[in-house]
Amino acid sequence: MPVDFRNDPAVQLIIQTLEADRKVIAEAKRKSFFIMGGGAIVLIAGVSLGLSYFAAVPGAAIIIYGLVRYSKTTTAFSIYKDAFKKKVVGAALRDIDQSLIIEPLQGMTESEFDDTRLFSTSPDRYHSEDQVSGKADKTRFYFSEVHAEYKSESTDSKGRKTTTWHDIFKGIIFAADFNKNFHGVTIVRPKDIGSTIGSWFAKAVPGLFGGDSQVVELENIEFSKTFITNSTDQIEARYILTPAMMDKLCELNNRCSYTVSLSFIDSHLYIAFPLDENYFEPPLYKSLLDPSCLERDIYIIRFMYDIVKELDLNTRIWGKA
Amino acid sequence: MLIVAIIIILALVFGISFYNGLIRKRNQVTNAFSAIDVMLKKRYDLLPNLVETVKQYTNYEEGVLTKITNLRSQAAAGQLSNQEKLDLDKQIGKAVSGMMISVENYPDLKANQNFLNLQSTWTESEEQIAAARRNYNASVTNYNNAIMMFPGSIFAGMLSYQPVAVIENTVEERQNISAKDLFNS
Repeated sequence: MPVDFRNDPAVQLIIQTLEADRKVIAEAKRKSFFIMGGGAIVLIAGVSLGLSYFAAVPGAAIIIYGLVRYSKTTTAFSIYKDAFKKKVVGAALRDIDQSLIIEPLQGMTESEFDDTRLFSTSPDRYHSEDQVSGKADKTRFYFSEVHAEYKSESTDSKGRKTTTWHDIFKGIIFAADFNKNFHGVTIVRPKDIGSTIGSWFAKAVPGLFGGDSQVVELENIEFSKTFITNSTDQIEARYILTPAMMDKLCELNNRCSYTVSLSFIDSHLYIAFPLDENYFEPPLYKSLLDPSCLERDIYIIRFMYDIVKELDLNTRIWGKA
Repeated sequence: MLIVAIIIILALVFGISFYNGLIRKRNQVTNAFSAIDVMLKKRYDLLPNLVETVKQYTNYEEGVLTKITNLRSQAAAGQLSNQEKLDLDKQIGKAVSGMMISVENYPDLKANQNFLNLQSTWTESEEQIAAARRNYNASVTNYNNAIMMFPGSIFAGMLSYQPVAVIENTVEERQNISAKDLFNS
């Protein structure tokens, strides 16, 4: 039976130290909320009694005091969060494979996000963090949390402008060195009504949409029902998406709540996993000693690490070292 | 009168685009086979080197090596129909696969970098040919559907277009990465 990394005395000591920090920060946050709440009551009471504006001063002062205290906890929380990711998540990563590391402030750059061509929209607001990288046997890989959004602006009848933000993608993008050499670009996206109509037109009227990408009709029925594939090279797309690879991708997709998107560019594979949750974040109002607090993080790390094995990326028999 | 003219123009545009579509699909089939042909030639170019390397390190059956050389000569000679090219490739593939498995018994050969490169290039070419065949079959299916379904069937009859047979994939191709076994000894 594998030994849980949390039983390691060094890791236990780290968790206990962080647990003490967590309690202090949680208590300080609670107190600052309490102070701000009290200040709000004093402020409302002073204003509602109809006294002069000066009656609002004590309430406002208490709220400001609460905010100052709260801002101090923010710094402490950032230090605690960073330590949790580097030391606790880092230990969980090393437990799976010694080569795995986490860099909390690193992520996929916006230009790389655009280069993956996983999404047709370029983001107006972009954030990426918690990059985990390493090597699973012969295959180098990394994954990061990504949140990309675009904005739309509307003006009402009175000329007031409203900006609305929409998600392009929120989740994890996995990138790995692919085990075959290729030069073209192959994109696999979830099939929806828009893409189905688009592909019908692209097939019926070639060249209508410009570009050198074509729809690739693949034989795997389940794969073709789930995804729409475009490529700059029909043969290369089939060289990458072999019958076995399509089966494996369907299996991988079936284990996810939302349909994944994939791209194969410059001998690299990118997979976008849409997710609702934010991973690798430490608990604040829940004990770090609770064994369940790391469960979903460890699950997602293991899931990403196992992709290399599941997609057979370590089989290097096609002339790529 | 105007309506009749519009109908005639629409029918003409539709007819021309359908006719062009059929020709495009037929050309796609031809192109798809050309792609297979190019990859087969690329693969056959590996054979002389492969045979020579195996000869140097093993006392592998001379007859089999001669057979591979002869099959390669036939393939290189040209003037073969598409079906003959595919049959010949099947025979070459079978002979080389047999040879690859047998050479597992020769540690010196397995350690030879030149042989390892040839082996991985051969495997890569097999997968590329399999991809080209699948591309050909997709083009053939597209073409066959177009000429067998109404109204394509009318144009196909006028142009004397006949359905084209798809290439049957071998069991090895369906398994797809069976070549991996060659490396696992």
